[in-house]
Parts: sequence; C-alpha cells; structure tokens
Amino acid sequence: MKTDFMGLKLKNPIIVAAGPWNRDGRSIRKGITAGAGAVITESIVSDALFDVRPRVAYNGSGVQNIRLYSDIQVEGWQREMDIAKSKEGVVIASVSAHTPSELAYLAMKMEKFGADAIELCISSPMGESLEVVASDADRVYAMTKEVVENIKIPVMVKLSQNATNISRVAKAVKNAGGAGVSAINTVRCILGVDIETAEPSLPTYGGYSGLPIKPLGLASVASIAQAVDIPICGIGGISNYKNALEYIMLGASAVQMGTAVMINGFDKITEVVEDLEEWAQRKGIKEVKAIRGKALEHLKSFEEIKIEPIVSRISSDICTLNCDACVKGCIYEVIKKEGTKLIMDVDKCTGCGLCTFSCPDKKFHLDW
Amino acid sequence: MNIKEIAKIAGVSVATVSRVLNHPDSVAPETKERILNVIKESDYTPNWFARGLNFNRTNTIGLLIPNILNPSYMEIAKGVEDVAHQKDYTTFLCNAENAVEKERRYVESLMRRKVDGIVLVSSLLESEDVDAVMKQGVPVVLIGENRNISGIPIVRIDCHGAAAKAVRHLIDIGYRDIAIIYGTTPERENMRKIEGYKQVLTEEGIPLRNDYVMEVANTVEGGYIAARRLIGMVKRPRAIFTSSDLLAFGVIDAMRDYSIRVPEEVAIVGFDNIRMSNLIEPKLTTIEKPMHKMGLVGARLLFDIMDSKEEEDTSSREILLQSKLKIRKSCGHRDRIGEIF
Repeated sequence: MKTDFMGLKLKNPIIVAAGPWNRDGRSIRKGITAGAGAVITESIVSDALFDVRPRVAYNGSGVQNIRLYSDIQVEGWQREMDIAKSKEGVVIASVSAHTPSELAYLAMKMEKFGADAIELCISSPMGESLEVVASDADRVYAMTKEVVENIKIPVMVKLSQNATNISRVAKAVKNAGGAGVSAINTVRCILGVDIETAEPSLPTYGGYSGLPIKPLGLASVASIAQAVDIPICGIGGISNYKNALEYIMLGASAVQMGTAVMINGFDKITEVVEDLEEWAQRKGIKEVKAIRGKALEHLKSFEEIKIEPIVSRISSDICTLNCDACVKGCIYEVIKKEGTKLIMDVDKCTGCGLCTFSCPDKKFHLDW
Repeated sequence: MNIKEIAKIAGVSVATVSRVLNHPDSVAPETKERILNVIKESDYTPNWFARGLNFNRTNTIGLLIPNILNPSYMEIAKGVEDVAHQKDYTTFLCNAENAVEKERRYVESLMRRKVDGIVLVSSLLESEDVDAVMKQGVPVVLIGENRNISGIPIVRIDCHGAAAKAVRHLIDIGYRDIAIIYGTTPERENMRKIEGYKQVLTEEGIPLRNDYVMEVANTVEGGYIAARRLIGMVKRPRAIFTSSDLLAFGVIDAMRDYSIRVPEEVAIVGFDNIRMSNLIEPKLTTIEKPMHKMGLVGARLLFDIMDSKEEEDTSSREILLQSKLKIRKSCGHRDRIGEIF
C-alpha cells in the first residue's frame, strides 16, 4: 500500500520513528531491510552527550525513557548517512535544538549529508523542556520558518499532545511553510514510585510511549486532520497493522513505530508491513489515500450526536460466569443476577453502554 | 626518503604520488594501493609545511581566548578543539589576556604560520583588524560578542535576555535590593547584562542605585573585593547578580569571611555555569551559557567556510544559542532545584 507523504513516494506508510534503535547508519539499514517505507534517525543535536544509565523503564504496557538524543556529533553523521543511504531507502533526519538559527543549521547539515526530509524534534518532554516550545504556536512558527527558508527538502514538525491546542500549533507549521506534522511525541511522565524506598522508577521525568498513549495519539491526529490541511504522520502505540489503519482512517498519510521496535525488534516492522499489505490486497486498496480520513466522516462534534432511545439488551438471560462485572458496574441498578439468571430492569437503563464492554462474554448490546 | 624517490620506486610520476596524498579519490584504486604500500614501507611522511605551500592548507587553526585562567573559555576551547581534531586539524591556543595589543600580535603570528582560519572568543579586536585578516583569504568566526564587527559568522547567546531572566528570578523570590557586580571583560557582553538588569528593575518600579552597580576585574578576587564594599554599605543589598561565576565565587568567599549566610541573608546568582558552580557551597544558582556548544558551533562555521565551494554563501551566518537559568541553592530556594528556559 503506497503513500505520498510530503512529496516522498513511500512504498508503504510504515516509518521507523526517531530513537536509539536508529542510532547510526547500520541500525538505520536494519529498518530499511525490514521493509519500512522510511526511517528517521535518532534526534541529532549540536552538542552530543553520553547517555544516562539506566534510561528506560517498562511496566509491561508503557515505556518511560529519559534518553537524550544521538551521541554521535554532527560531523559523524556524514559517515552514518553514507552508510544509511548506501542502498535504496528513504532516510529522514530528526534534529533538535532550542533556537531557530541552531535548528536551521543542523537541518542544513543533514540535508547536505543526504537526508530526504527533516523532522524537527521540538516537543521532547524530557529534561530539555522543549515541550514548552511545542505548545507555543509562535515559537514553533519561528523555528519552522527559519528551517524551511534554509533548506529545500520537506520539513515535518513533531508535535506534543501536551499542547493547549494542537491544531493551532499544526496551523503555525503550515503557515511557516512546513510540509507536514507528526503527532504525537512521547508524553511527559513518571512511570511509578517504589513505595518502600520512595524512589521514582527513573531519576527524572521522561517520555511515555507505547500502547497506553495510542488513544491520545489518535485524538491528536484526528484534531489536526479536521482543522488543518497538512500531511500528518501518526505516532503513538502502534504495534500491529490495525493500529496503523486506525491512524490512517483518522487522517494520517503515514505512521511511525518506535516502542514496538524497541520491545520486539525490527521483525515487528516486517510483520506490520506484511499484514498491512495482505489486508490492502484483500480489500483491493493500492494507496493510503483511498482510506485516509475515512473514520473522520463518523467523528461528530458532541452537539451533532443524534440521540436514539437505546437501552441495554441481552442475547440470553443465562450467565454461568461468576464475575458479576455487569452488576457491579451498573450504577443505574438495571442489572441483577439470581443464580445463573440475569434480570434486567430495562426501564431504569439510560443506555450508557458500559456493560457491552465489561462483559467478558459480550452478552449485552444496545438497541431500541 | 622524499616524494621523488617514492615516485621512482612506485613507477609513477611525482604528481600521481601527490594526488594519492591529497586527492586520493582521483587515483585508480590499484595505483593508489601500490603507492601507499611504497609509502608505508619507506617510512615516508609528507612535509606538512611544504604541503601548506602547495595546497594553501596547513591543517591548523588559531583560537584566541581572553583569559586562559577562566574555566568558561576552556569549555569553549574544548568545543573548538573537538571539531578541529575530528577534521584532523591542530589548534593553536592563544591567551589574549584581555589586551588588544597582545591579541593583534597573536593574530600576526598566526598569519605568519599560515593558519587556515581563526576563531576569536569575545575579542577586543576592531573591524579593521579582522578585515585585514580576511583580505588575506583567512576566514574568521566570532564566538561571543565582539567590539563592533558585523558581516562575519558569529555564535552568541542573548546576554541581555539571560541577565533579565536571572534578575527576574530574584524579584520573583521577593528580593528588591539587588546589586550587580560585573567584570571589565568581556566588555560588550557585560554591557548587555547590565542593560538586562536595569530593564527588569525599571519594569518593576525599583529605583536604580549607582552604588549597587560595581565594575571589577572578572576574577574571583574581583568578586571578593566588590562584595566587601557592598557588605560595608549602610543599606546592604539582599541579592547580588554577578556577570560571571568566578565573580560569584569571590562573593561567596567574602560572605563566608564576614559570617553572612547565603542565601538566608544575601542571595547570589552567577553567570556561565562553569563546572565548579555545582560544587561550591551553597551550590550556585546561575545562568547556563552553552559554552562547549558555542565552541563546537563556532568551529563548524569556520570549517564550513574553509571547506566551502564558491557558490555557497556561508559568509554571515549568525547562530543564537539558548541559555537557561539553573536554579540551585544560592538564592532562597534551598529545597527546590530546577531549570527555567
């Protein structure tokens, strides 16, 4: 399933996100070989520093990381880009800085080293506090504009979910001449606290990524797609082809995968690319644009929702499970259970819908 | 053994050996390998000075810093050297001692040594001095603000804005009697810091007091003697902003000698964030100047010009880097540590 993203013709919409799994030319090649449509370098900065240890914490569903950017200096990236681009493959350079002139300088360097596009990482929630920039549309405008004026390749800006109004920031990117936006960056977090030692999981704030942030990413992508006409790259918790399609159907032209690669390796990229292709062939879809934004048609504003008099119904009133999830979760006291028999006081039901999700047997549905 | 003998043994012309040494990509791989083997076996090393004559390159750059005893300049110097070393260049480090005549002599000396480029850090040189260098085809890059030179690449921070941030922090904590101690050097940058200090006080309706603005040598001793003057005043300031961390160290030293507690009785904010500012007691709240990064970027701009082809415009790029307020324990926030951008 091909896609045209910011003028880049990608063989598929799966992009390996910026991160330490793309820390040099050799690792970038792994992503390309695994079949990704494009690969984004780890974020490159003016003054590369050594990594902190440890820098990753994982609770089984989400990951906190406090890794700060590439430890290879700009000079070294000339060599790494030569390796990364030694065969076929689209390589996007992620650059990060605090001022427009510094950011533009790095982007110019990476353009010279052969990058096909630039991603501006100006929304990282870690120690550098770039998140502050990411919610300030004027500063994002100034940074994007300075970069766009200094290079010829397309510029995409990585946005933060933690902005007062993400669409406004995306609009600033468009007005500044940015070719696209990617959303969302990791979310500022503390994964947890050990209550015996009173120590947080990691010694400083980090970025939260993985499956738990997918709903946040989906909402951000949809919000941008509804308000601004700009190509979007969806990011956040994608670990299978269905997740990728969710982002696409809410308006993304391409998507990025990072945490799934970190946890499962580059095979995950191959798996998602192949599953997506198989799905597309089955549906007879050749290009992303055929389905892009399809779900937006069903996304209404609150006021537009037409209220039907639906209530909870059961397919059968016999239940042998002893979970009682439906009974406990029904604050309207509609559902009662005597032995294995479900008793519904339908007149009291307000049609909230919770029981249709909480029943492990999927016994409930809404109807009128 | 010299280049002629190498050429003879390898059975090629002198020009081909020269090409292997200077433009290896232009020589056929087999020929290149044969010549390199001869060079390896014969212990031949190219004459670098002659190489400079032939190709107008000596693979050296000059770096002028105002004061070698000030750690902030060593951080910058390391940044410049980090890039130069990667490019296989040697850096001549010149200590200008805050004296323009000494600086001029160093520049002349560097020109005689045919350096390929010069980096000036907070230089006192005038426009004419720099023009004379550039007319001879040697590019110059500035790190930090200079007297009054425009039109050449520069890396700097916003000293005015950074100072304003520091003073505003003191006002936010609740101080109103705030003094500034600044060094005679770096001249222009310190003028900007004073502007920032005055602007914030004026905005807050705090009357400016001339006796709260003190100029001394930019050293630990300078900070000490200025602090002693302030301690002796009838209305002693409750907070002191210094234009460098070295000055702040001197202030803390004086406060200790006079048994005045920091920050309980006098709060102190420095500037630069040199490494020792995190070791001194109390740990110093200061403006972090990205010194190492300034060195890296300055050197990069220089190499951009030295490596550029004529069509590229690298002449007057200005890179403004961000400084930030590092909140530690010298001004009232004993329990809180943080950063303000």
